[in-house]
Amino acid sequence: MALLKPFSKLPCLNTANILLVESEEQFQQSLADTLVEETAFTVNVRLAKSLPLPMENEESRPRIDLVVFIINLTSELSFQSAEVSLKNLDPGYFLGKVCFMVTNARNASVPTERLDAVRKLAASLHCPMLFAEDQTPDGVTNATERLLTILKVAAGFVPMATALYLSNLTRRTAPPDIEQPSFD
Amino acid sequence: DRENTIYITLISPGSGDRQNNGSSAVTSRSINIRVNLNFLLCVSNCEYMNMFKNQIHTVMSAFPPVVEAGTPVHGNDEVERHLVLVEKVAYSKGLPPEAISVMLEFAMSLRMGTVLCARVLRCLIPATVVPQEAVVRAVVWLGVGKIPMSTQVLFIKWVLTMFDMIDGKDQLRAIYGFIFSFVTEENLCPFICHLLYLLTRKESGKSFSHLRYGPFIQRFPQFYSYSLFLVFSSLLQALLTGRQPFLMHLLSLYKVLCPELVTLSIPSRMRWVRNHNSTWKSTLIGVQKRNGSQAASSIGLAFTIKDKASSRKRKHTHLQLPALSSVVNKQPQSEPSSSRKLVPLVQLHSFAQLLENMHHIELPAQMGSLLGSSLALQYLDFVQDESALLRLNFWLGYALYEEFLFCGDGGGFQNSDEALQFLNKLLSTENFLQGGFTSSEAFLYKFLTVWDGSLLRPQILALLSNIPVVPSSQIGRLLFEPLMQLFFTSSVFFKCGLVECLNSMLLKWLTWHSVYALEDDLDISLKSYTSINMTLSGFKDSVMDLVHFVGQLASVGLQLEGCHSLLLSFTLDFYETVCDMFLKYGLPLVVMPPPGVFYPTLFATDPISVDRLAYIMYRYKVNLASAKSQEKLTEAFHISSQTFHEFNHYVVVMVNSLWNSRMFKPDMDLKLSEELLLKSSVPQHWTSFDLIHHPAFMSYAIDFHQKVTFLHQKSYDADILTSIKLTPQSGPKERFGDVTTFPSFFRLATCLLQKHP
Amino acid sequence: MDDSTKRLLQRLIRRIPAQTLRTTLEKWGRLTAAQQRSMDFTQPKWALSEKLLAICEENGLTAKHITELEMTNVIDNPNQGMWYAFQLMDPEDDANSIELTQFKEQFKSHLRELVRPVSIKIKKHTDEAVWIRIAWGDSFSRPNHLKPTYVVHHLQTPYVFVTSLTSKQKPLLSQALVLSARYQAIKDANLSGRKLTAIRDLLMRKYQQVFPTMYPSPLGERNQVVSNPHIEKEQAEPAANRLQMACEAFGDGTLPQLQTVVYKLETKFRDHTNKTMTEREEPFSCVVKFASTNLLESLRHCASSGIASTPVTPLLSSILQKGRNYFVITDNGSGPSTQTRQPQT
Repeated sequence: MALLKPFSKLPCLNTANILLVESEEQFQQSLADTLVEETAFTVNVRLAKSLPLPMENEESRPRIDLVVFIINLTSELSFQSAEVSLKNLDPGYFLGKVCFMVTNARNASVPTERLDAVRKLAASLHCPMLFAEDQTPDGVTNATERLLTILKVAAGFVPMATALYLSNLTRRTAPPDIEQPSFD
Repeated sequence: DRENTIYITLISPGSGDRQNNGSSAVTSRSINIRVNLNFLLCVSNCEYMNMFKNQIHTVMSAFPPVVEAGTPVHGNDEVERHLVLVEKVAYSKGLPPEAISVMLEFAMSLRMGTVLCARVLRCLIPATVVPQEAVVRAVVWLGVGKIPMSTQVLFIKWVLTMFDMIDGKDQLRAIYGFIFSFVTEENLCPFICHLLYLLTRKESGKSFSHLRYGPFIQRFPQFYSYSLFLVFSSLLQALLTGRQPFLMHLLSLYKVLCPELVTLSIPSRMRWVRNHNSTWKSTLIGVQKRNGSQAASSIGLAFTIKDKASSRKRKHTHLQLPALSSVVNKQPQSEPSSSRKLVPLVQLHSFAQLLENMHHIELPAQMGSLLGSSLALQYLDFVQDESALLRLNFWLGYALYEEFLFCGDGGGFQNSDEALQFLNKLLSTENFLQGGFTSSEAFLYKFLTVWDGSLLRPQILALLSNIPVVPSSQIGRLLFEPLMQLFFTSSVFFKCGLVECLNSMLLKWLTWHSVYALEDDLDISLKSYTSINMTLSGFKDSVMDLVHFVGQLASVGLQLEGCHSLLLSFTLDFYETVCDMFLKYGLPLVVMPPPGVFYPTLFATDPISVDRLAYIMYRYKVNLASAKSQEKLTEAFHISSQTFHEFNHYVVVMVNSLWNSRMFKPDMDLKLSEELLLKSSVPQHWTSFDLIHHPAFMSYAIDFHQKVTFLHQKSYDADILTSIKLTPQSGPKERFGDVTTFPSFFRLATCLLQKHP
Repeated sequence: MDDSTKRLLQRLIRRIPAQTLRTTLEKWGRLTAAQQRSMDFTQPKWALSEKLLAICEENGLTAKHITELEMTNVIDNPNQGMWYAFQLMDPEDDANSIELTQFKEQFKSHLRELVRPVSIKIKKHTDEAVWIRIAWGDSFSRPNHLKPTYVVHHLQTPYVFVTSLTSKQKPLLSQALVLSARYQAIKDANLSGRKLTAIRDLLMRKYQQVFPTMYPSPLGERNQVVSNPHIEKEQAEPAANRLQMACEAFGDGTLPQLQTVVYKLETKFRDHTNKTMTEREEPFSCVVKFASTNLLESLRHCASSGIASTPVTPLLSSILQKGRNYFVITDNGSGPSTQTRQPQT
């Protein structure tokens, strides 16, 4: 299975392609519906459950500008599937063309270890981590806007800004430990 | 011993000591019921009272004094029927105090088994007050140890919910030690700690920092022996293996009251864990509303509790600010050392009354109720009572965490009115007190790390602007990092909102500094009710960090958004605050805007931005000049020469490009080679950003030109614009001399100059 | 009316769901129109039962009539309580031609021979099901109407559904059924559930079944959701395959609502990393239970979304195929359970 490579194909005019990877295949559909409504440029959305992607689509698949891993914090399976999928991505993507989108972070039933593990993962890969509220239409709209902000840079629509530049701005250091009070 | 009172003592067989003395001795299973006939007589005409009389009768007859062992509960229709009747009354009007007594005793003595105990506890909604003797007896039953753990927890939760309605707390305080002994029980610990937290009170409003042992006992009578209190605090400290948050909160209260006894250091920001939910709250509020008059005597509640319980799936019980006076508090009669009568805050209705009773005011047990009342807030702000603030922060933190950070699976509350109202109420309180609460600050730091940037954005940003000065060592981790990530991944409107929020935060910090700083003292210990100690240099560091942070955000943000004019406008708002830090707020700090802000503004395409930039530079000049002159007088502060260099440089660039038509000359920051400029085929490129040719002023130029042509009655010719020239730049004299020969330029210049100060 | 009848009525009123109380009373037909109108159905149950008690006393109704009401209620709300399915084996020659009256007489006489006193009520419902209500008594006491057994049998089929049967009563009932339905034996069908309609539909195959075909129809037709051309699923084909295999195992229509499936494992422990457990001789017995509000629907979703591996394991698909939800797995493969599970009262 070939790894997905960031620069192996030519870009299309005024088009940005985004790949949403989600093990549960729920949130990605509503995100996709909102993403394609963007009018300033054409957005093509590819939906996948996990990586690697099937070989059959290799020819017809355009150049993917941004890969988004959607992780539902209430499900351990979701996190593990994302971890496995990460291994099937070319390292070139990790220069700003990958980001994580996390849902249900404010849920009481989420164990804190899982959120910390996702944070550590994102920090170690220098990828931004976005939180999303997937239960309401406003939350979905906002998540879409945020993805488009990053997508525009990753697809090269913003002059003088590259994906690597943006990822440097949004990178996290070690996961913040708000629980330990050192402020007195 | 009171007239018009019947005592009935019921004894069940098989009890150990057949004592008939009516004491609440644990060994005798006897029920004492006092029926106050006065209560019955004075309202005998009311239909409700008739029903009440029937109830008491049925209730008493339903639970015969001699209950045979093994009386079946399941399928026992008699019991069922009576319980249903009691429940019906409870949910509609609430139970009268005597009925509460009887039912509580019935339940906690496990007269008919454990299942009925829980069921009765759930329906114990009081109509007016809860007699404290009943609660005390029930606590004693708790100690017998036959009640299953879940029901014990339910009972304590009930006590916590009904705490304000217990008619006196002196008896409960008398058994403080007994209640304390339950702390070791793991499941009960959080709730017992909360109960103790509510019970622990100071007798007077003074602090305890100068206590000796003797007077201490007088002032703190619930700890009837000093050694017992030592045992309490050391036991608590020993229990802190996991630094459990509820224990920490109780210990922090002890520390405030008797600081020398608590040797652990308590962090001011403590973790939160889900504590309890209330099965009774919504019904209770409904009952109180139905009973009408009492809820209305609160002090100027600025809002009403919406009774939407029926249509809502999730009950936001922890968001409802408790009514400030739901029950008339009986004066504690048996407190020995209170020579002065304490006036409960609920009874004050006007500012004048507040002033009269300023020194003997008793705060309510439920601190959250203070948020709704401006009088209470004024009192709180003045008196700076640490334990009261501690309790208020406790309640506030709990409510915020419970609602926004520990959501259930539904999560669809985001636009619920209650959440919005609560936050708005909190905001108005913070604005009134002109400062934020520590618990809301801690909540915000946590919330920022899981925020998506749009949920309750206006409220969260407004709350954020209220946080007090953050020390420079923490500000990056706590504030800047999460905000930066949100900023660069969100839309331009979020960017604008955040810059405005940070501007507002800066303004508040500066205002706070200018209020609290002493005139001649530069190394200042600033103490406010948020208890932050900060030196002047520390404060300056924090402000500088904030200004640099916003500068960085704005520079990159403007670039990413293509110099969006709205973002530019908010950025300039910020720098209008920054440029006047010295003169307006007395802070000896001058920070220049970064090039990433200066140049986009200079080359902006709307005239207002350029105008504002000129104003900002002008204010910088005034501030710097004043600072320079002051520097000569006092050696105290020092503006670095680097700042002056930057300012001068900016002014030179600005004047060169706008006035002298010396754009792109080698001494500027923008270094473009000659060949490149020639390639652009812009004629006389060095004039392209002066007053006449600047794209921002194009509209003025055209407007002026139209007026000129109208005056001279010449036909409008666009080519005339190009005929307006400036003489080659040699010196000011020549420039001024040449001005007179170009009337159109002169008019244009005066027209523009009128817009600048 | 004596005490026990009163209690019976009260209990009955408590059990009848509030929404259907009015219609059930109408169907019962023992109240006059005026009496029916006088009942205020917004009152709480205990008030209603007192009113009804008064009316019944007025009309002189006895326990017999109350049991009629109970039976009407159970027939209309068959999805309460726990139902167990049984299957009659080895039909005699005339088993398929048995007729209602004949069955009724035979059953009553056989059961009365075995148990005395016993109260039997038989009613035929519109959908060819025969409902039998049995109140058991013994030599010391009268039939206990508080704990009746209900039996549903569809004539000309070998299936019987029973609720509230104790282990003591079971052989008696079995005997009576076998004899009156003209079979030779009866066995436990290993199927149970809360909804009678569901287990009946399952056993009698009254759901949309999947027939094996050589060329399975492309599911693409069904999934013709008009989607945006800009949105494309990368793994549409594996998803479609999964969906197809799930539908092969579970069909693609509505499924009968089972609540649980229980697998009793008596296999040897197999894990290479754990030597101590694998070395044991005796099988590792454990019970695996799946529970859901609609078990088959959720299993189908598990298969189509990839949580359960496809093709669907026969352990799961045999719920539908064999019509049972209790399995015993031994090392030789899952076979018919040697011991039947005791229906609990």
